[in-house]
Amino acid sequence: MNTRTLTTVAAALAATLALGASGCSGGRDGEDSARDGRGSAENPATANNGAVVGGAPEKGGTLTVLSNTDFTHLDPARNWVMGDMDFGTRLLYRTLVTYKAAPGAEGGELVPDLAEDLGAPSNGAKTWTFRLKKGLKYEDGTAITAQDIKYNVERSFSPDLPGGPDYAARYLAGAEGYQGPAHGKHLDSVKTPDDRTIVFELRKPFAEFAYATVLPTFAPVPKAQDKGPQYDNRPFSSGPYKIESYARDKRLVLVRNTHWDPATDQVRKAHPDRIVVTMGLKGNQIDDRLIASSGADASAVSWGKMRPESTPKVLTKADVRARLLAESSNCTEMVQMHTGRTPFDDVRVRQAVQYALDREAIVTASGGPALNDAATALMPGSLFDGKQPDTLKIPLTGDAAKAKELLKQAGKPDGFATSITVSNGDKGVGEAIQQALGRAGIKVTIETVDPSAFYDTIGDTENRTDLVYTGWCPDYPSGSTFLPFVFDGRYIKEKGNSGNHSLFRDKPTMQRMDEIAAMTDAQQANQAWQQLDGEILAKAPTAPAVIERMPLLLGANIAGAYGHTSFGGQIDYATVGLKDPAKSAG
Amino acid sequence: MAATLSSTSLPAGSGPWQLARAELRRRTSVKISLSVVALFVFMAAAAPLLSALGGWSPDEFDKSAVDPYLGGLPIGPFGGISADHWLGVEPVTGRDLFARVVHGAQVSLFIAFAATAIVVTAGTAAGVTAGYFGGRTDAVLSRLMDLTMSFPSLIFMIAMLSVAKDVNRILLMTVVIGLFGWPGIARVVRGQTLSLKHREYVDAARVAGAGPWRILSRDILPGVAGPVIAYTTLIIPGMIATEAALSYLGVGVRPPTPSWGQMIAESVAFYDTDPMYFILPSSCLFLTVLAFTLLGDALRDILDPRGSRI
Amino acid sequence: MILYLGRRLLGVVGVLIAIAAVTFTIFYVLPADPAAAACGKSCSADRLAAIRAHMGLDQPVWRQFADFVTGIFTGRTIGSGQYTLHCEFPCLGYSYENSQAVWDLLMDRLPVSASLAFGAAALWLGLGLSAGVTAALRKDTLADRVLMVGAVAAASLPVYFTSVLLIYGLIRATGLLPYPQYVPLGSDPVQWASNLLLPWLALAILYAAMYARQSRSSMIETMAEPYIRTARAKGLPRRTVVVKHGLRAGMTPVLTIFGMDLGGLLAGAVITESIFGLPGVGRLFYGALSSGDQPVILGVTLLAATFIVLANLAVDLLYAVVDPRVRY
Repeated sequence: MNTRTLTTVAAALAATLALGASGCSGGRDGEDSARDGRGSAENPATANNGAVVGGAPEKGGTLTVLSNTDFTHLDPARNWVMGDMDFGTRLLYRTLVTYKAAPGAEGGELVPDLAEDLGAPSNGAKTWTFRLKKGLKYEDGTAITAQDIKYNVERSFSPDLPGGPDYAARYLAGAEGYQGPAHGKHLDSVKTPDDRTIVFELRKPFAEFAYATVLPTFAPVPKAQDKGPQYDNRPFSSGPYKIESYARDKRLVLVRNTHWDPATDQVRKAHPDRIVVTMGLKGNQIDDRLIASSGADASAVSWGKMRPESTPKVLTKADVRARLLAESSNCTEMVQMHTGRTPFDDVRVRQAVQYALDREAIVTASGGPALNDAATALMPGSLFDGKQPDTLKIPLTGDAAKAKELLKQAGKPDGFATSITVSNGDKGVGEAIQQALGRAGIKVTIETVDPSAFYDTIGDTENRTDLVYTGWCPDYPSGSTFLPFVFDGRYIKEKGNSGNHSLFRDKPTMQRMDEIAAMTDAQQANQAWQQLDGEILAKAPTAPAVIERMPLLLGANIAGAYGHTSFGGQIDYATVGLKDPAKSAG
Repeated sequence: MAATLSSTSLPAGSGPWQLARAELRRRTSVKISLSVVALFVFMAAAAPLLSALGGWSPDEFDKSAVDPYLGGLPIGPFGGISADHWLGVEPVTGRDLFARVVHGAQVSLFIAFAATAIVVTAGTAAGVTAGYFGGRTDAVLSRLMDLTMSFPSLIFMIAMLSVAKDVNRILLMTVVIGLFGWPGIARVVRGQTLSLKHREYVDAARVAGAGPWRILSRDILPGVAGPVIAYTTLIIPGMIATEAALSYLGVGVRPPTPSWGQMIAESVAFYDTDPMYFILPSSCLFLTVLAFTLLGDALRDILDPRGSRI
Repeated sequence: MILYLGRRLLGVVGVLIAIAAVTFTIFYVLPADPAAAACGKSCSADRLAAIRAHMGLDQPVWRQFADFVTGIFTGRTIGSGQYTLHCEFPCLGYSYENSQAVWDLLMDRLPVSASLAFGAAALWLGLGLSAGVTAALRKDTLADRVLMVGAVAAASLPVYFTSVLLIYGLIRATGLLPYPQYVPLGSDPVQWASNLLLPWLALAILYAAMYARQSRSSMIETMAEPYIRTARAKGLPRRTVVVKHGLRAGMTPVLTIFGMDLGGLLAGAVITESIFGLPGVGRLFYGALSSGDQPVILGVTLLAATFIVLANLAVDLLYAVVDPRVRY
């Protein structure tokens, strides 16, 4: 649920692992759901998983998106939040490569977008060449050029434009210390021999570079349109829609970009004529409107997760339940402890937290068992052939006596006081944690932070609280996209830290990670990651809590909708449309 | 009011306080609101005792009382009212609502009363000083009153509460709420003092050589007591509502501490799925505010019939 | 009159500077690291560096404050070196969170808050005053009792409670009104009004109740004044006495409160806007709170104070028109 997690590009194996069939979301995958025992047959919320809801959409009409919040960034150089990337790259700008528009596991497959293919590696995968399709145009009819993509990659380095993915900075040769194109300086490692060819020179061989080019960083921005930080308010369109008006935090209206040529685009269907995003609505009111689904609301979808309070109103009515998407977010939420500070530098104290935690209460606070699964391991089930193992065998409701005993051994028989940071929406979870740890004598103060500021707050390693409640999502089924991001001490940053919020710096763990990363046999590496997961769990840097779904309500007139597995379960905006466009308010 | 007073048969020569008490006793609205206030004050004072009687502490989860598959809705009718949970339970957590409502009363009423005490003390002191000494003192204090009243108080309170971290929330809320209320009462007292300070008995005391301190405490303060009492009762509901509003906006008490405002804020989301949860703290707040308003109205009619309002 | 006006305007400026000083102290002097505080919760190292340069923390505090105040009247260039930023008149600071001048943010939201405030005010004045005056003229009748019991009950209902009842009654259960969604007055007046009706009602019920109580007691007092009795004795019709003499004098205390209330609401009804999801100043303020956007918090506070002070001034001037006893 770390929204910043993305298409992390990692070593090897995407292909061999057959991308997905993630156990907890595998509604259509009979074999998998039978194995994990949590399949769609038992869960009323997941009946739609892996399927397209509402049938095939008709062209035209207005699609309304009801949102409680504004987008963090729509500037392609700064857009690095799951849902925002879905919205931006599916509607407003195209990237070199993108994900297939399909429900379920197929959504993890790459397809060419601006490029003609998935890129041609050479020089031992250190050089990547992409060739653009013919006839690509911006919203004003001018041609999209390779230089424009290079320009956006360069501007993503600009200190004025923070927030975006840093993959270009990590992988491009000669990128150290580069500050963007402001003073006429350019990156020599990105070459554009002609208007339709772009070549990337990397620091080291990187076989999966195509995954990185899905990121908005690799979308075109024409230099003439760049307005620095203001570009965020009006990105220039290369996709099927352009911005008619954008009042921050209020309303975004998209209309068709008539210069977009569907013949060049095999992903985006662009069914609606207009897309209107209304922001700043109350979460509960959004749910109520979509449950009622009357008038223009029938042609609306929700942007944010359905509120847990709305669960009874949805799950008890078959007709409403049929309009619920609940694709697994595939992210493990954890209580992460600051292992660098007392008392959490003591493994017994951390184990006490693992034992004291009441995961059943956390599941209830997150919306109940229909929308969450209690976590028993660090990596989600999809990385364990469908089901997480339970190596610690702690009862779901916790074991306060054992926790007390551990605290006693650690020299804290009377417990201690500490604090936890949770995102605003997770206040209920915070209280469940507070209550559970309180049973063992750990007195917890809850700090709630606005979602927009959450990751920056917990990323400040010096000033943050001892405990934080957050998670991580693998980007495709490989342990290499999970454990190294959450438990490798070498990736810790003093400010803007992400992933490793337990600040876990364990030498044997890091050593083992390097060993596994060097393995060539995918199967062997996979098993090694699974084993390492249990070893790390025993050292207790975090206490895994739940694996959440992304519950999204649809109006009755919505067609072609599914939660996209590669965008954290957000609706795929490339294909969503209306059953009857005439019914939507123009 | 003179007409109504004469209808009660009191012995001639009864003091003003006796008269007031008799008049108060006569009104039904006063009797009802007094008993409501007494009930809630008792609830607040005896909160730990009462919740022990109910068998639940306000922070204790009861998972057996909620249905996790329905987003944590209470099991049973009317928000899970049962022999075990007298007023039902909070959705999701299953915390006992009776325990939370009485502890919430404690927090809400404590903040309201303490803030009122600050306001009344500061306001009376400022008002008497400004009125009695006049001149430059009066000018300075009056300017200060104008200035304080020009502050957008709710916005300012929210801002101050959000800037200050790691302090005792209840104490901080009390002080912040108290900070903006005093000019109202200061103006009333100032006006009253102005009219009192040239009465014959005050002049007589002055001529007899009494110092200003003695005159203030012996002659002026008893004279302003009536309006101050009436006014105090009338600002308490405002204080309760302000506490609730701040907690509602999330800058009030911290979880798991309950207060009525916090409870209402949490329960709004459940108003249609678990109406009892929403109605309970809301009606407590409503009844308390209503009772204090009615009581204040009556006291003002009796103690301050000419209405020395601002 | 002109002299009076000049004196009052000077006073207004004085009060605003005093309020600015207090607010400035709270946000810029008291925090351990004012730059970090202004940077908010989502603070990047680059932004922090820029803010440090902008705030001129090496300058003495009085100098920083003087710059801030001058900026309000003339606009200013914030910072030095590569981190310059021009903030035009009237400069209330710069929101790093939104990459926008605070003034522009406020002006963007103000129409929403103003629509809410003026609409609600019209409603509550109409409802509250007519109820109050009716009750006063029929003192101690059944009508009076019913109105006043209703008023005291309505005044005891918190706005978030009324709002929920209204949402349920007028939207969920009956579908009479749409879920509020701000539509600018200029683009579609009918939509504007029908979308705002619910928040107007929610606010107006509370205020109307308070105004009914206030105007009733004030009317009763006025009607007992000797000059009213004289007018009646002269044989003027009751209607004329009430309208020409009673209302004018009786409404002055109400006017005072009205100035304060309207001024406060113009700068955002925080609770109402957040309940109904209206993108006004109040919600801007609420959002700034959770992201720690202190320049915006400071700006909203100053805006609110300005409205209150100006509304008070307007009310004092109106006195001369309404109440024949007041002359400047």
